[in-house]
Amino acid sequence: MKERVEKLIKAIHEITPKDRKIKIMNVCGSHEHTITHSGMRSLMPENVELVPGPGCPVCVCSESDIINAINLSKRDDTILVTYGDMLRVPTQIGSIRSNGRNYKMVSAPHEVLKIAKENSDKNVVFFSIGFETTTAPTAALIETGLPENVTILTSQKLTPEIMEILVKDSEVGVDAFVAPGHVSAIVGANAWKVFPEKYGIPTVVAGFEPENLLLAIFRILLQIKEGIAELENVYRGVVKPEGNRKAQELMYKYFEKTDVNWRGIGYIPESGLEFRKEYDHINAKKVFNLPEIEEKKVPGCICDRIVLGKAYPDECKLFGTACTPRDPKGPCMVSMEGACNIWYRFGTR
Amino acid sequence: MCVGVPMKVVEINYPMAVAEAKGVRRNISIMLLPEDEVKVGDYVIVHVGNAIEIIDEKDAEEIWKVLDEVMAILDEEEG
Ligand code: SF4
Repeated sequence: MKERVEKLIKAIHEITPKDRKIKIMNVCGSHEHTITHSGMRSLMPENVELVPGPGCPVCVCSESDIINAINLSKRDDTILVTYGDMLRVPTQIGSIRSNGRNYKMVSAPHEVLKIAKENSDKNVVFFSIGFETTTAPTAALIETGLPENVTILTSQKLTPEIMEILVKDSEVGVDAFVAPGHVSAIVGANAWKVFPEKYGIPTVVAGFEPENLLLAIFRILLQIKEGIAELENVYRGVVKPEGNRKAQELMYKYFEKTDVNWRGIGYIPESGLEFRKEYDHINAKKVFNLPEIEEKKVPGCICDRIVLGKAYPDECKLFGTACTPRDPKGPCMVSMEGACNIWYRFGTR
Repeated sequence: MCVGVPMKVVEINYPMAVAEAKGVRRNISIMLLPEDEVKVGDYVIVHVGNAIEIIDEKDAEEIWKVLDEVMAILDEEEG
């Protein structure tokens, strides 16, 4: 394996055009993890930049939704249920853990069923956040049949849609994408076709092993050298061209595309999934008449710029000083998928 | 949260199943896979307790190699 990796790195150096900067963006926390952990950045030709993009659902979850979740957990008749990472995300009124009251952590949506059964006299609200890889499981939970006392607070985002925004933003200047392996398992490799075809951006779907990721980077640079833009998939064992049809069907049975609020970025048209009208009765936003709360920026935090590939974590003045994984000031420091958290843990780019 | 873990299906009671990885058994949902496609002995990628795709044993092993490293780092931090 080591030999193959060395060969790939050598080949990358040989084929890379040296006359311009090349910015390759990943949109998956696990990719950023592999890149940082393996020290891949330092192995790249000088003009090749590997930037982390919006690959962290916790980082972009709207502050308003989290505040609503905190407030729901303060009701005597309600239990808020969500993923562990969400408990520590800071907002203007603290985090679920620091300021919430009745909350429970789950690692899978179907665990909500047990909590609902044990607390049949309470409203159980499942705070479902994330990209396609968590939204489809939430749809599966609803399909299984929700108990009467369960409603869902959604904050679900779509990956291809945010990437299209990035492409149109000239400050970012992305030259190529490494598309996320597991999101692609759901949406299908073909979901990324728009990038090479409409925007001329080489895009390669990759897995998480260093060698597979290097192969993706090699294929991207080869395309750039040859002046072409295509969609390739080097993670074929997991990702099919059409993706997981059943997961897609279930997601769109209950949810529809709508404009959603990305933390620090604002509303982006058609970039998330919200309940269809028919499901108002299980939509916590409707059932509890939840307000939209105006976002307040965390002073000094540049997480929004990091998520968009406009800045790196170590450009933040709070990075590693006031803001650490133990005491996160901004959302990018909270979860294993946040760029600030990853960079902090490895103490390196 | 977004980290997918390969597991081996050891028991099916559609739409739920029991899957195993590293000697640990977990109840998972296989609702996202068609009922007639997933069999006992299959390897699947599991995200937040849901199998999202069936994969080869070889791919499962490759993915575990990377995950083992991640886990080791996390263990260190906890300790
Ligand atoms: S280090 Fe903390 S405060 Fe700075 S950008 Fe990252 S999350 Fe925000």
